[in-house]
Amino acid sequence: MNPGDEELVARAQQGDRRAFEELVERHKQKAYYIAFDFSRDREDAKDLSQEAFLKAFTNLKKFDGRSSFYTWFYRILVNLCLDYKRRQKRAPTDTFDETLESHMEPSHEPKKPRSPDQQVFAGQISRRVGEALEALPARQRTAFILKNHQGLSIKEIAELMETAEGTVKVHLHRAVTALRQSLAEFA
Amino acid sequence: MANRDRTPNPCKELEEDLVLLHYSDLAGAERHALQDHLVSCAGCTGYLKELATLLPLTVKADEPSQTFWHDYSRELRHKIDAVSEKQSWRQRLSGFFHPWSIPALAGAAVVMLALTLTFGKGIWQSNDLPKDDAAMIEALPVAENLEFFKAMDVLDDLDLLESMGNQGDAA
Repeated sequence: MNPGDEELVARAQQGDRRAFEELVERHKQKAYYIAFDFSRDREDAKDLSQEAFLKAFTNLKKFDGRSSFYTWFYRILVNLCLDYKRRQKRAPTDTFDETLESHMEPSHEPKKPRSPDQQVFAGQISRRVGEALEALPARQRTAFILKNHQGLSIKEIAELMETAEGTVKVHLHRAVTALRQSLAEFA
Repeated sequence: MANRDRTPNPCKELEEDLVLLHYSDLAGAERHALQDHLVSCAGCTGYLKELATLLPLTVKADEPSQTFWHDYSRELRHKIDAVSEKQSWRQRLSGFFHPWSIPALAGAAVVMLALTLTFGKGIWQSNDLPKDDAAMIEALPVAENLEFFKAMDVLDDLDLLESMGNQGDAA
């Protein structure tokens, strides 16, 4: 039987590197996808998620188990993603360009080839979605990404954002309203 | 915008619950009540359909290959190695500074300072004074003594004069 996160954390806290590597293997994909949802850039998502693991590794002795490792780790990751967004706002770059899709490796799922019109439309949507998400306040964006992209429950998001469930619901509703306005033409 | 105009507006007070219903995050009685309401409300039904069309568009899919994940783990292992190396250096360094060693080192420093101030006064004085200054320092006490002896001579002279005066009176 596979050991739980708590057991692996306890072993890693005793200096067992293999145990920490097992935690990385378990959480790396989800961590990467969350970072990708924030950054929408593969390299940045890789760097951000790896940085979160490094931070967790160096601070593992401080982890007291009051929350689950999952909550603790994803809180580190989300904070790093928000910092990244703040830095990016100070030095804006054209992250949401239409060439983004061309940088991505092909999916394992076979996809139907897109017509040029479809490609243009997809590019337009991608750019507009990026802009709309970018325009959201940080906490609304966080609640929205964790719910819409990652499918976390309201309770999990509240724990992660260290706030009340009611507040998460309000953030989510406001984010959806703002996005609905920004993307009305695609509805 | 044209589509928005075509979509009837939902009931304002139910919007938040409709969002939660879209995400299947509305439980129990609230969900049942809202589902009952949807049967008779075109605005809320339209809103829910709009969310179902619009919100999936905001997700940007990325499916990295196996090679990417393999490289990811390898790269992270190297980074962890580097961090561990740095940490072990810090631990080795901090080994010298146990809690008990700090007062001991401070005490030793105070003792050293006290010894230096007590016995080492001459150490910091410069021996290369200019020759004139050194001669002056040596001559000063002698000069002070000469002044003293001169003063004593004057007193002797006064005594002599006084005794001579007394002899004259007597004669």
